[in-house]
Amino acid sequence: MSLKSERRGIHVDQSELLCKKGCGYYGNPAWQGFCSKCWREEYHKARQKQIQEDWELAERLQREEEEAFASSQSSQGAQSLTFSKFEEKKTNEKTRKVTTVKKFFSASSRVGAKKAEIQEAKAPSPSINRQTSIETDRVSKEFIEFLKTFHKTGQEIYKQTKLFLEAMHYKRDLSIEEQSECTQDFYQNVAERMQTRGKVPPERVEKIMDQIEKYIMTRLYKYVFCPETTDDEKKDLAIQKRIRALHWVTPQMLCVPVNEEIPEVSDMVVKAITDIIEMDSKRVPRDKLACITKCSKHIFNAIKITKNEPASADDFLPTLIYIVLKGNPPRLQSNIQYITRFCNPSRLMTGEDGYYFTNLCCAVAFIEKLDAQSLNLSQEDFDRYMSGQTSPRKQESENWSPDACLGVKQMYKNLDLLSQLNERQERIMNEAKKLEKDLIDWTDGIAKEVQDIVEKYPLEIRPPNQSVAAIDSENVENDKLPPPLQPQVYAG
Amino acid sequence: MSGQRVDVKVVMLGKEYVGKTSLVERYVHDRFLVGPYQNTIGAAFVAKVMSVGDRTVTLGIWDTAGSERYEAMSRIYYRGAKAAIVCYDLTDSSSFERAKFWVKELRNQEEGCQIYLCGTKSDLLEEDRRRRRVDFHDVQDYADNIKAQLFETSSKTGQSVDELFQKVAEDYVSVAAFQVMTGEAARTNFLPATLFLMRQRASPAPVSRCCQAWKRIADALHALTVVWGGECKE
Repeated sequence: MSLKSERRGIHVDQSELLCKKGCGYYGNPAWQGFCSKCWREEYHKARQKQIQEDWELAERLQREEEEAFASSQSSQGAQSLTFSKFEEKKTNEKTRKVTTVKKFFSASSRVGAKKAEIQEAKAPSPSINRQTSIETDRVSKEFIEFLKTFHKTGQEIYKQTKLFLEAMHYKRDLSIEEQSECTQDFYQNVAERMQTRGKVPPERVEKIMDQIEKYIMTRLYKYVFCPETTDDEKKDLAIQKRIRALHWVTPQMLCVPVNEEIPEVSDMVVKAITDIIEMDSKRVPRDKLACITKCSKHIFNAIKITKNEPASADDFLPTLIYIVLKGNPPRLQSNIQYITRFCNPSRLMTGEDGYYFTNLCCAVAFIEKLDAQSLNLSQEDFDRYMSGQTSPRKQESENWSPDACLGVKQMYKNLDLLSQLNERQERIMNEAKKLEKDLIDWTDGIAKEVQDIVEKYPLEIRPPNQSVAAIDSENVENDKLPPPLQPQVYAG
Repeated sequence: MSGQRVDVKVVMLGKEYVGKTSLVERYVHDRFLVGPYQNTIGAAFVAKVMSVGDRTVTLGIWDTAGSERYEAMSRIYYRGAKAAIVCYDLTDSSSFERAKFWVKELRNQEEGCQIYLCGTKSDLLEEDRRRRRVDFHDVQDYADNIKAQLFETSSKTGQSVDELFQKVAEDYVSVAAFQVMTGEAARTNFLPATLFLMRQRASPAPVSRCCQAWKRIADALHALTVVWGGECKE
């Protein structure tokens, strides 16, 4: 990812291209910005740490083994020869952990030598330097602990698995089918060898095979689960979409003999869904199978409680389909493909796990092909449900509630409220519009009336009768005043 | 339970309600129950250990859904089965027609699978002969034709049930012995069912090495274009 972001920039400074250590050579993003030489040095340091950890484990294994096999030391001579050669090589390297390493090898560790040789063979390829996750570490430790109990056979097995893992590393570019075939061959060979050479009884072979599967698949998981070279991911998305589109399918349509109104039963259904979803989180095919089996057991219980009799396949398959539809488990196709490709086949083929797994495959196939006929619906109904125009649940909204969880119920209630609100809103809008219209009409009416009146009684502006003298224009009442007193002459 | 090793996969095929589950129930638990019963949670998968001569064989009996809506999926069920018990109801002729369908499927898809025809509910005939709808001799001829074994059983009385499964186990042992003799214990026997389907899809025809090389180059080119295309977009 960091690689991409670096490349994205249009302008790249010259210094960015050089080795991070500053030796003057060009670096390479694939080597984390080092040049090949510096990278190898860096890488070796990291590698040493891991080698040392592995040695510690191997050494412990060896010590315990020696106690048990104190007598069978005759073959030790040859072994120590290879070892001494190896030690020479090691000391030449002059790593800082030399002292601790020496301490371990003072016991002339047979297992350690072999193991380290393999490590050595691996070393030149930098990409093997996988970030050993905590889980991988834990599984490796468990595996070694487990093999201890088998002494000599355990060593042999350990060697073989190591070689196999190494071989698989170089086959990473092959198609997933070829990788799967290699793994299947490996299972077969190891099991055969244990039975013929090691004379291990069959039950123990089973147990060892389980452990081997766990170990190798935990380590390979990252590379072989949903690989980019296949269209697994596309299929995952397709089925996920399909299941989402089928959300309306009811138990009645599938003839599921489970009554979720019984609290115990709905409890079982929830558990079954949880199990099937949990499958994706497991790394080992066998653990994934165990999830399917657990889910199936819960389904059987649910049927049993509802019907009060043991379930047959006629009851089981529809219920499983229903559970898958309800749960919509993540990466369903990838998980199925992964299990078919990398599970130990003897288990998948016949046993109980295999049976449930086959049923799951059937359920998925059914969901993919599902049509109106398989749900006993008319084509029109089916199309309408698929397009989301109507939902069978809406028609029976009251019956629908019991199997829903609280949140869904609340949601439906809210939806109801919302639709009511919507209605009211519309009503208000209509009223408002009406009011607006009324108002407009009213003003118009008034205007019209006024107009009418104006028309009826036109306003006539008559010109004034006489022009009033400007000076005493205010004396409007002048004429009403008695005439001014005239001077009168008296005789006298 | 789930870790139990199983030697033979036996599938039960047949129309709904012909009594597949009852047959298994009778055989494994030796009972026929009409009323509600509680002891087992399911009879869909049962592993039964039995002895043939000095050997023990574990039968893994797979019940299948008989409804027609799952017909397309029945293939997934009988993949890799060593034996198939195809059931039909002696009092229902349509169930025999359906049985023929499965026989044809099995013959086409699963050559190594031994077929056992099983007419169920024979106790009903004991009560009233006229209820028989499937003639014994017709079926016998048919069975000979397809090299199948024929049994008429009753899960209610237990008639011929043990014999049927015993025969399945015996046949398996003798076939297995034959395979060991001829070195034919091929690993394909162990391959999981769906793997076959997958492979068939993945490689429809054997490809020559040259073609493979070309394909790999093409794939590499494709990968390159994907990488560059992705970067250009950014």
